[in-house]
Amino acid sequence: MKKALFNGVNTTKALFFGLVFVQIFSLGIFAQKTKSKTVKSKVQTVKTPPKQIVSAKVTQIDEVGLKTAIKPNGKPLLINFWATWCDPCREEFPDLVKIDADYKGKIDFITVSLDDLVEINRDVPKFLADMKAAMPAYLLKVEDEGAVIGSITKDWQGGLPFTILYNEKGEIAYFRQGKVKTDTLRGEIDKLVPKLLAKN
Amino acid sequence: MKQKSILLAAIFAVFAFVLCPDEGNAQTFTIGSALENFKLSDTNGKEQSFDGLKGEKGTVLVFLSAQCPVVKGYNDRINQIAADYKANGINFIGINSNATESPELVKVHAAEHYKFTVLLDKDSILADKLGANVTPEVYYFDAKNVLLYHGAIDNDRSGKNVTEGYLKVAFDASLNGKKIEKTSANAFGCSIKRKAD
Repeated sequence: MKKALFNGVNTTKALFFGLVFVQIFSLGIFAQKTKSKTVKSKVQTVKTPPKQIVSAKVTQIDEVGLKTAIKPNGKPLLINFWATWCDPCREEFPDLVKIDADYKGKIDFITVSLDDLVEINRDVPKFLADMKAAMPAYLLKVEDEGAVIGSITKDWQGGLPFTILYNEKGEIAYFRQGKVKTDTLRGEIDKLVPKLLAKN
Repeated sequence: MKQKSILLAAIFAVFAFVLCPDEGNAQTFTIGSALENFKLSDTNGKEQSFDGLKGEKGTVLVFLSAQCPVVKGYNDRINQIAADYKANGINFIGINSNATESPELVKVHAAEHYKFTVLLDKDSILADKLGANVTPEVYYFDAKNVLLYHGAIDNDRSGKNVTEGYLKVAFDASLNGKKIEKTSANAFGCSIKRKAD
């Protein structure tokens, strides 16, 4: 009997059935994998809603570009100078993003990063995207930050963060070195846009 | 009548305080001001006095932070300048006025990075007195404790493109009996984190 298993006919039959079995088995696994992938893909689609697309484009500016950027364009202008390495800057950013959303259309709001230039495509846009920050974002690259600081206002003593609010004429209405006090900043903005009630 | 005047003055003072916008510490300690002796603890908890640490020809108070990346970028330059001018009788004293940095952190950082004494100004009293707001920020005093220069060490935080060595220029001028042309330059760096912030 044992010997018969190895004669010509039986061997061919055994090979044929063996191949058929392997084929069916393989198809079964493939189908299962495909199904599994489809299910997984469906689950992912359901679990992860599409993220809000936030522009995190950061534009490099120099002293000249900054002078242009800080000129109000018919509306009050709020500017936040910050850096990714500055803890209080990062801590206050969610409040600033909220202020931007609440006063959208009533004031202009830009951010100016003083990070190293290498961060213009790395940490700066990443942080802004994480914060869902939609304000126009700049990175200031100058030879001497101290000189630029002095040109903004003599009262800026060089620390970050620094937030400054201009009225529509370009006059300084408020500034703060260090983390902003949100209520104070909102109050100062409200003074400039008294007829436009800010959303809470 | 006198009591009424005092009362009115007090009311005025309160109103002035309330109405005064809060934008950081005003610069009241100006060039030419004389610093009185003060005492603070060093990183080993030992009380030190300014008079005990000051240099024969002058003294630099440098406000530091154990966490600020701008200070980190300046550490080598600070040590080099401190070493170069110690021989000329100018001593450096580090001051840490950040309420957010523990004495242990400051001690470890100072031991790793500086060869001069670092003092803990835990309530930012000295920073308030001088109007210091940034790290790094330097105050250079002559032998009589009169402020000669205040602000940035130089004009480039990276150290790669320094074209104006403000502090060294001030040292060289004063050591040679010449007038310091630039007595202040805006410091740039991390805000000193006070308890009230």
